[in-house]
Amino acid sequence: MSSNHYIPDLSSFRNKAFFVGLAGVLVAVYGMTSNSEQFMRSYLLAFLFSLLIPVTCNGLLCLHHLVGGQWGILMRPLLEAGSRTLWINLLFSIPILLNVPALYEWARPEVVANDHILQNKAAWLNVHFWSWRIIFYFLVWILLGYYLNLYSNEQAAGRNEEETEAAKEKLRNLSGPGLVLHILTLTFAAFDLGMSLEPHWPSTMYGVLYLIGGALVTMAFMILVMRRLTVEAPMSHLVKVNHFRDWGTLLFAFVCLWAYVNFSQFLIIWSANLPEETPWYVKRTQGPWSTLAGCLMLFHFALPFLLLLIRFNKKKSAILGFIAAFMIVMKFLDLAWLIAPAFHEVEEAGHQFLHWLDVVTPVGLFGLWAGFFAYQLGRKSLMPVEAAKLPTGGHH
Amino acid sequence: MPPVKIEHADVVLVQRHSNTTVTDKIAGVVLWSPTPKQWFVIIAIAFMVLQLLPFSLGNLVVQGIGLWGINSPVGWGFDIINFVWWIGIGHAGTLISAVLLLFRQEWRMAIARFAEAMTIFAVMCAGLYPVFHTGRPWLAYWLLPYPNTMALWPQPRSPLVWDVFAVSTYATVSILFWYVGLIPDLATMRDRAKGFGKYIYGFLALGWRGSAKHWHRYETASLLLAGLSTPLVLSVHSIVSFDFATGLIPGWHTTVFPPYFVAGAVFAGFAMVLTLAIPVRKWYGLEDFITDRHLENMAKVMFATGMIVCYGYFLEVFMAWYSGNEYEWAMLMNRVKGPYAAMYWALWICNGLSIQILWFKWARRSTTVLFIVSQFVSVGMWLERFVIIPMSIHRDFIPASWGMYYPTVFDWGTFIGSMGFFTFLMFLFIRGLPMISMFEIRTLVKRPAEANH
Repeated sequence: MSSNHYIPDLSSFRNKAFFVGLAGVLVAVYGMTSNSEQFMRSYLLAFLFSLLIPVTCNGLLCLHHLVGGQWGILMRPLLEAGSRTLWINLLFSIPILLNVPALYEWARPEVVANDHILQNKAAWLNVHFWSWRIIFYFLVWILLGYYLNLYSNEQAAGRNEEETEAAKEKLRNLSGPGLVLHILTLTFAAFDLGMSLEPHWPSTMYGVLYLIGGALVTMAFMILVMRRLTVEAPMSHLVKVNHFRDWGTLLFAFVCLWAYVNFSQFLIIWSANLPEETPWYVKRTQGPWSTLAGCLMLFHFALPFLLLLIRFNKKKSAILGFIAAFMIVMKFLDLAWLIAPAFHEVEEAGHQFLHWLDVVTPVGLFGLWAGFFAYQLGRKSLMPVEAAKLPTGGHH
Repeated sequence: MPPVKIEHADVVLVQRHSNTTVTDKIAGVVLWSPTPKQWFVIIAIAFMVLQLLPFSLGNLVVQGIGLWGINSPVGWGFDIINFVWWIGIGHAGTLISAVLLLFRQEWRMAIARFAEAMTIFAVMCAGLYPVFHTGRPWLAYWLLPYPNTMALWPQPRSPLVWDVFAVSTYATVSILFWYVGLIPDLATMRDRAKGFGKYIYGFLALGWRGSAKHWHRYETASLLLAGLSTPLVLSVHSIVSFDFATGLIPGWHTTVFPPYFVAGAVFAGFAMVLTLAIPVRKWYGLEDFITDRHLENMAKVMFATGMIVCYGYFLEVFMAWYSGNEYEWAMLMNRVKGPYAAMYWALWICNGLSIQILWFKWARRSTTVLFIVSQFVSVGMWLERFVIIPMSIHRDFIPASWGMYYPTVFDWGTFIGSMGFFTFLMFLFIRGLPMISMFEIRTLVKRPAEANH
């Protein structure tokens, strides 16, 4: 091993991401001038899509500190960089916090006045409490990410085994409660930001959809970053074929879990056939949404399931990278399928589909986020802190 | 033999063994070491308790299921509670042998065989309940779709029919997995047994000679079976949860049920593995093989799945309020302060509160604490099914049809009898077959050169 310090030159990627992001945001702002209602809807989708990865970085880091495993040793610096971007997502949330009534019907007094159930829910679903909750979630996430990074730096800077052990102990002690906090806050963030778009529809599974979906898209994104980093030394020496296989296996597990939780929710609601629950699916299985639902079954589950079953595909980083990129796109479509139909009534949902802003705004916001991610990636050495635990020998 | 002092409890195998001593110790339990007196005591008690089963089931078959406490409005009582409880207990075995095998976790080796045996016996106990609930168990094969002249065909939309397939698949794959894993060890037993035992083990070992070809086929078969079993960990208890969740009853109909049931199953299963492994390893002096590290890892899995279960309880409470649905709210209020409220609060104490001690390492390392927590969890998971099943249906949408559910002596007899049945089979297994996989433990033995590290 040559040195313990490695910072890749990601300036060109960073600049490209910023450029694409800025271009996307500018076009979206142009779209806002003609259709501000649609802009806010697209903006919520974009906000959620760019939020899933950094939030889940915290969760995966906690998981790694608790259970260990080769998969996390090399991925840790990347996940830490991801969790350092969360304050950008807090900035992204400002337009939503300023425009709650534009997005959520429970925030419009004239709607609540005529709706008995919304009146029952007003104690939870009101603009003030809701906004403070969102800020609270961000506070938890940013602090969790901050301490995960802080103790990790302490571990890396440890001069002797005692100091590194002490830092490791701190990480472990933080990660147990940290994981609990991550799961609870992301669940409730999903309820507040996503599920309350259709405030009459409750599903206890909804938070799990975001937990699993977040893990899936984060793993896919980090595989892509790893693929880029392993082009050159020293990462090309450190990362072995088996690492890609492990990451591919995790991606496979998340793909299966995604299908499992989505299918379970669908089956339970379809079987019971209750009038307060089925509209959610009726909207999402009409006209073009139905085609999208079919595509998700095929390309968010069946195809990656088959591809990732084959060991060869997981070992070849080029193929795995391709599958990972594909999964990010599919995850975006999945999120769009969850969010976008919520703004339409059942009768009209079949005549609407994704607006062009639903594509441009997420590209813009995600591009900006990716630029900040690349910037954070360049701020700390990517050499794994626990490099001693990596297998020696063998080639990439 | 003086009690074994553990110096290196942080390992998956205390390194003072050679291949021979591993085999001698584990095979010896069955073949030549004196059987500890506790074994005789436990199996005698278990055999006596087991007699409750033919008594209560025999009466049931002769007189009909009116002997049970189920009636309108509670049509599902102990039969379904205990079915779900037993099926859940089996899940630890499948998780340990299948999922942990795929994740290449070394610590699974010492406890896998034991937990798999538990799976099979627990599924046998579970299977009793729905079969006898039919009232005419000799016609239970009507549940299977087969061509017949009576125009009988199971309703494919019914989760109860999915249960038939899920549980029978689960039983089949579990038995296959367990047996395939036993074959190399059965051959070892054959080679060491004297007298008639030689022929029995020899017959069961299917001609295993330990050739490279045999090992190659063994590895392929066990990997394939692990792959087949892994979805079963999720599917069996998910389908059990569909029995309730696809219905319309508040308390049953909630979308998070499948993953929450699966977590609960693993939770209960690990509690049962700990309940059995802690005394057995002490009585047989197996601390070198089932180390404190094993117990701690099991405690961690139990804790993690327990926290997922609490997440499910918490969401149920939150959604009952958030949904704004008065029936959901009434269901919650009935749990919190209805006639069965004590059981609901006991559930939170057993499954929510008692496991919080496992945050601490000293607690996860203490066999006493683990044993006590495991008892709480076993009771708590039974209470969970009681809270879900009879408590949701005893007060339905029409107050005029409300009622109470009380189990009868035959309900209790079947339940306690099935515990005797389970314990009896477990202790027979311990006496007759190597309870720890010898050939897998041998792979953990370090050669002298490595052992110095």
